[in-house]
Amino acid sequence: MKHLQSPANKFSRRAVLRYAAAGSLASLAAPAIVRAAGERPIKVGLISPLTGAWTVYGKAHSAGFLLAVDEINAAGGVLGRKIEVVVADSKTEPRIVVEQANRLVREERVDFLAGTFSSAERNAAGPVVTAAKKVLLYPTFYEGQEQKYYPGVCNPDIFMFGPEPTQQVWPHMEYMMKNFGKKFFMIGSDYVWPRVTNEFTKEKLKELGGSVVGELYIPFNTPQYDSALRQIRESKANIIFHTLTGSDTVNFRKQFVAAGMNKDFTLWTVDDEEVVTSGLGPEVSAGAYVSFDYFMTIKNPNNGPFLERFRAKFGKDALMNTVGVAMYNAAHMAALALTKAGKVSTEALRDGLRDLAFDKAPQGTVTMRGRDNQMVLPSYLMRVRSGWTGVNDMFEEIQHFDSVTPVDARCKKLPL
Amino acid sequence: MQTALSVLVDSMLITFVFALAALGLAIIFGLMGVINMGHGAMLTLGAYFTWFATTKGVPFVAAVLLAAAGVGLIGLLLEHFIIRHFYDRPFETLLLTWGFFLISTELIKIAFGTDLRTVTNPLPGAAHFGSFVLPAYQSVVALISLALIVGLGVMLYRTGLGIKIRALVQNAEVASLLGLNVARAYKLVFVAGSAAAGLAGALISPMLSVDPYIGNIFLVRSFFVVIVGGIGQVLGGTLVGSFLIGGSETFFALFSGQVVAQTIVFMLAILVLRFRPAGVLRAQ
Amino acid sequence: MKYPPALSRLSFSWYSENAVATVIFAVLALLPAFLSGYVIYIVPQYLLYGVLAMSLALLWGVAGILSFGQAAFFALGAYAMGLAPHWTSSVDPFYLALLVSLLIGAVLAGVVGYFLFSAGVRDVYFVLVTLALSIMTEQITVSQSDITGGYNGMFIPRAQLSFGGVSLDLSADVPMYYTILPIVIGIYVLLRLVVASRFGKVLVGIRENEDRVLSLGFRTSLYKTAAFALSGAVAGLAGALYGTHASFVSPSLAGVLFSTQVVVWVAIGGRESLLGALLGAVGVAALSNYLTAITPEYWQLVVGIVFVIVIMAFRGGVAGALIRLGSRPPMEPERG
Repeated sequence: MKHLQSPANKFSRRAVLRYAAAGSLASLAAPAIVRAAGERPIKVGLISPLTGAWTVYGKAHSAGFLLAVDEINAAGGVLGRKIEVVVADSKTEPRIVVEQANRLVREERVDFLAGTFSSAERNAAGPVVTAAKKVLLYPTFYEGQEQKYYPGVCNPDIFMFGPEPTQQVWPHMEYMMKNFGKKFFMIGSDYVWPRVTNEFTKEKLKELGGSVVGELYIPFNTPQYDSALRQIRESKANIIFHTLTGSDTVNFRKQFVAAGMNKDFTLWTVDDEEVVTSGLGPEVSAGAYVSFDYFMTIKNPNNGPFLERFRAKFGKDALMNTVGVAMYNAAHMAALALTKAGKVSTEALRDGLRDLAFDKAPQGTVTMRGRDNQMVLPSYLMRVRSGWTGVNDMFEEIQHFDSVTPVDARCKKLPL
Repeated sequence: MQTALSVLVDSMLITFVFALAALGLAIIFGLMGVINMGHGAMLTLGAYFTWFATTKGVPFVAAVLLAAAGVGLIGLLLEHFIIRHFYDRPFETLLLTWGFFLISTELIKIAFGTDLRTVTNPLPGAAHFGSFVLPAYQSVVALISLALIVGLGVMLYRTGLGIKIRALVQNAEVASLLGLNVARAYKLVFVAGSAAAGLAGALISPMLSVDPYIGNIFLVRSFFVVIVGGIGQVLGGTLVGSFLIGGSETFFALFSGQVVAQTIVFMLAILVLRFRPAGVLRAQ
Repeated sequence: MKYPPALSRLSFSWYSENAVATVIFAVLALLPAFLSGYVIYIVPQYLLYGVLAMSLALLWGVAGILSFGQAAFFALGAYAMGLAPHWTSSVDPFYLALLVSLLIGAVLAGVVGYFLFSAGVRDVYFVLVTLALSIMTEQITVSQSDITGGYNGMFIPRAQLSFGGVSLDLSADVPMYYTILPIVIGIYVLLRLVVASRFGKVLVGIRENEDRVLSLGFRTSLYKTAAFALSGAVAGLAGALYGTHASFVSPSLAGVLFSTQVVVWVAIGGRESLLGALLGAVGVAALSNYLTAITPEYWQLVVGIVFVIVIMAFRGGVAGALIRLGSRPPMEPERG
């Protein structure tokens, strides 16, 4: 039944395995490699959700990073050294992240780490990063930094390449409220990212004179949404602000559309990028508003060539998304930072990344804000076209801002 | 009043979905006493078979029937090669069916990939009655669920085969003395339960995200539906159990968070197990 | 009281298990002299999984009570370790957390156990309740994010131990190793003694034939409750130590996937031997760590197949098979 997998899928899996095999072979042959310090590759530990609940996101996640590393190596590497990636599977389990991050640091002796997907995975890697004095490059859109979750955030050694709520949500609130109304109903999965995102949204909502007419948090893996849909209907909301994740986003949206409610309410989601929207299908996703820092169809001049290279490597049907692009940017910016410093060390990488601008990003120029390790990114609001056939005609741009500066991280001391 | 009515309608819709999901378990666990921890995997397989068939252009109704037959066949193989050797050992059947879950989940991932899959809703649209809404497809599923349960009840209580099976449930030894082929009856019941689970997974697939763990959402709930409703009470028990589990979740969610509601329902189910253990206790 | 025949096998294996355990623990004790780095970091974690497995082996292998919820106690222990520094106390939070984790495990298991066992809820129904217990624990730890950090998890600082005037920094690998290893050995020895005691023999009797033990005048529900409470306490303690070792805990540690993984470890290692359970956990977890990098999908499949084969053909798991190899052939096949 192997033929059921798309070619892209197969290809990327094989590519990942090849990298892993290269990594472990190299580690076995370590003594032989230390011929000349200049030739020794720079080792990077990549932690991706290759199996488990977030596998759907894991492909773009690892693919973005591997693509960038290929480009860097093809251009001669960093300071004359190639970059070698050691891939580890997080199994979407924080418990496994602790195990694998330690393996990468202590056994593979990587120079720095990239990846982890969810906030829980990143937080699990936090103590390892701190104890080992290594840098972690984190790609996912997330709830922003708050001292409470140190050392997962507010950590000078962890750099955030994805957007936080004041970048992903705030810029588009005026447009949404002006066009659809001021009453929001918030529905999200019951965990930190939706709750914090909603707190930020409420803050801005108050400022703009809007109101929240309902707020509902759903446990993971909830099959039935009849009562949630009833509460939404009765709330007379204008906009459903949607932060459900994973399979629950699909379950909710299918039942939302089955009840015919997509005609009466505007739905704005900050979770459903290319991968999830593809999973939803055109009937269910049509008409929804989505906001992120990157979409495959944005019109930035860097994006076309980037996607060409991506498809050449991972197949024409492979999906890219905000997380994969963040991983791509992370690899390139780390290489630039090390080149700038002229040496490979945690300090060199950390200092080099601070306030580093990268003009080859698929979104255009992006900058790592030195004060709190948070990326300054563009922000796009898209509407899902009805009857779309693929990623090329999935999203229709409503508006965008080239560079959105987030609020300061809520850390005990800034700069970090 | 409007709210009360729409809460009731929601509860009924949930009740029938839960009853449908639990039906296969009510047959295998309820009639045979076999703890089928692979029940969730059977639901998942039903959903994936439906997805696979519809992507190959098979019409939805045919895909559903194929999925039920496919899962029934898997149930037959499972029963014939493994489970039938362990009927007198409940722990072993529990663990072996869990092993079936572990293996089939991995095989699903290998065969069908891990991308989010969706089955298109074959009956889009909804009927609006004032403030409450009846989604067309979910309503049809509710009716099928009710029909299946009633049909099963009629089969068990009104046909010769049903009477034999009930005799078997009450006393296997006597049943075999009366000339009933016990092994074959067990096989029949197990396959029927598997096919029912496959059918449920197939019918539920357009409402949910099809992923390798879709069935496990219903696993523990289904067990509680059967336990709360009363083991062996396929007809009334499954409906009552589903109403108490699904309906009360809706009800508690009116006053508290969803998580609290689910937790309360689980606790209530445990209380039922403790204080109303009809069929739960061995004869003392 | 006349003990069921299974006991004679137990006493046969008693001395050989002692010998094997002595050798293994001696090797473990000397390991840091020869190895360093990741192995020394990770072995204590596997040993704590092993303790969790032993907590289940005590319950399942000895008393015949299967639990699908051991991870709930383990996770609660880890949360206790994470929360202890926030409780105002003059006591060292590390010791306080160890004590609290023991108590949480014992009390929760004791209450749930008594509640169910006293009504005669048995066997497979108990399994379902423990499964629900782990789901509820996971959901509650997700939703109570003010206390637990919710789905994002909680950071747990590595402890600084002090006894008398000597202080020990557990953030280094070797001190951590030599703190956890003796505790693991201690728990193993204690559980061996429990199994060999009169209490343990009653539990074996309950496993073989509860009604007969009941008719001999033992209140089996109390014995089962005590076994579950002890098992919960051991799992809780292991969880607390795991918390400080991993420096992180999140709700999935309580979840069904991890809970049932413990069952797989114990089944493969050998449910009737505490050492088998311990080594089953260490072996499967270690293999899984190294093999997933090479073949993430197929590894899980292999584990599933091995699990089914063990249940079908080798009731005693690897340990049982080894014991049989060493004992008089041919053993008659057992009945469950």
